Amino acid sequence: MTLADNAAQSRANEHQTKRPSRLFKNMTAKVASIPMVLTALVVFVGCTAWTITYSFTNSRLLPRLEFVGWDQYDRLWSTRRWLISIENLAIFGICSLILSFVIGFTLAALLDRKIRGEAVFRTIFLYPFALSFIVTGLVWQWILNPDFGIQQVVRDWGWESFVFDPLNNADIVIFGILIAGIWQGSGFIMVIMLAGLRGIDEDIWKAARVDGIPTWKTYVLVIIPMMRPVFVTALVIITSGIIKVYDLVVAQTSGGPGIASEVPAKYVIEKMFQSQNLAQGFAASTMMLLSVLVVLIPWAYLEFGGKKRG
Amino acid sequence: MARAVTTRRKVITTAAAWAVGLLIFFPIYWTILTSFKTEAQAINDPPLFFNFDWTLENYTLVQQRSDYMRFLWNSVIIAGGSTLLGIIVAVPAAWSMAFVPSKRTKDILLWMLSTKMLPAVGVLYPISLLFVQFNLLDTRFGLIIVLMLINLPIIVWMLYTYFKEIPVDILEAARMDGAGLKEEILYVLTPMAVPGIASTILLNFILAWNEAFWTLNLTAANAGPLTAFIASYSSPEGLFFAKLSAASTMAIAPILILGWFSQKQLVRGLTFGAVK
Repeated sequence: MTLADNAAQSRANEHQTKRPSRLFKNMTAKVASIPMVLTALVVFVGCTAWTITYSFTNSRLLPRLEFVGWDQYDRLWSTRRWLISIENLAIFGICSLILSFVIGFTLAALLDRKIRGEAVFRTIFLYPFALSFIVTGLVWQWILNPDFGIQQVVRDWGWESFVFDPLNNADIVIFGILIAGIWQGSGFIMVIMLAGLRGIDEDIWKAARVDGIPTWKTYVLVIIPMMRPVFVTALVIITSGIIKVYDLVVAQTSGGPGIASEVPAKYVIEKMFQSQNLAQGFAASTMMLLSVLVVLIPWAYLEFGGKKRG
Repeated sequence: MARAVTTRRKVITTAAAWAVGLLIFFPIYWTILTSFKTEAQAINDPPLFFNFDWTLENYTLVQQRSDYMRFLWNSVIIAGGSTLLGIIVAVPAAWSMAFVPSKRTKDILLWMLSTKMLPAVGVLYPISLLFVQFNLLDTRFGLIIVLMLINLPIIVWMLYTYFKEIPVDILEAARMDGAGLKEEILYVLTPMAVPGIASTILLNFILAWNEAFWTLNLTAANAGPLTAFIASYSSPEGLFFAKLSAASTMAIAPILILGWFSQKQLVRGLTFGAVK
């Protein structure tokens, strides 16, 4: 028997013995993931379905199954407070998405140049992320306070007419919250991006240099497209953070001045727990869910559905 | 990554990094500094940097008003408990996804992850109803369960990426030697994945530690962790900055210290999925 025959023989054996064990393996695998899938199914899908169902009722203090059709949604979309919340979330979301990507990537590119004491910087950049949004909100409430914060410091330096008071100005209060959000999040994005940059082969840099491509062009045309998975990860994390934005607002402005910095999550919670208007809160959270799905489903389809076909 | 960087350029980038670093660190530094001032000094104009009388009175006052140790203990139990429970549930699931992938594995993983993007307010009320039903409101156990569920997708995802790096052959060799499923996971896979598991634990501990949405809505006096402690200082005493700073410092100190000593694991944990 030649060596090749031998190998073929053993491969055939392997094939034979593997079959049953594979079946068995698949079964235990399925059993192993049951607790997790089950909890996800029951908790997320079940509870969400419950909320959607009750959003069509007239429940006030207690959930009750008296259906009133689209009434809650009509009322929701004619409430000024909800419209402001949605607008705020859109501004906050778009700006923080763009800014945290730009800042995070710039910082990462900066640190990727083998700066002395990189570990120290990395930890410092990460520190804000390790804080609770409550702490971030309180700290920035103070820094942006017109009497003790940035505005006063700049005025003391001699620029008497300097005005920077976002938290008391209804038109720009959301940007005051945005600053705090960016401060908290961009270091984290930086670390993810840095890991992505480190994963890129040094030869690519060399090749770009040999070809005489300027550094910025290498980043834009070569490096960033190569970091696609990293960007997707960062995107998932930032987006989930944006939709969640609640504690930051509560700590920093409590939705003020007036209702200028309200966000959808806060609207929902207040309707449910404070103004005893459960179904209205459910309708609002259903709308939030819907808007997430509108973004999520096409993206998931492009990202994963396309690959399967190709 | 050693690229041909001129000295001048290196100086500039280092200076820029320092500037950004200082800018980012300043709010934290300022909070800690203010916690040692009196209320009058805290709002002094111009701001005082070192020329003030350091005092511990804010810490004493905060401690008198609310029992820090109880909040701290709640935080430790809730964050630790939910992370450990999550790991116990997630290891078998991640194992099956990494080593016995089916056609659906990627879909399930993606689907699990996407639940992280759904608004939590959508499930808040049903969950609080369940809490009332099972007498879990304002208990540490209830919060452990909820935070475990909230962070489970991330735990599974992280473990999955780490497990995928472990060669299947090793597990198969163990199986050849007669190791059962339990032994395979417990004695072969887990020890090999210790660094990854450590990072997962660390990141989720921090996430659970900082969780405010659920803790503020599902706890009161009894099981409130440090996020509730600090939130209680926000609105009614908004202008007492020195006390607020002392409370903030007390709330963030454990996590800053933990972060400093475990930054390597933390960075690895935070880059889950981003790097292979």
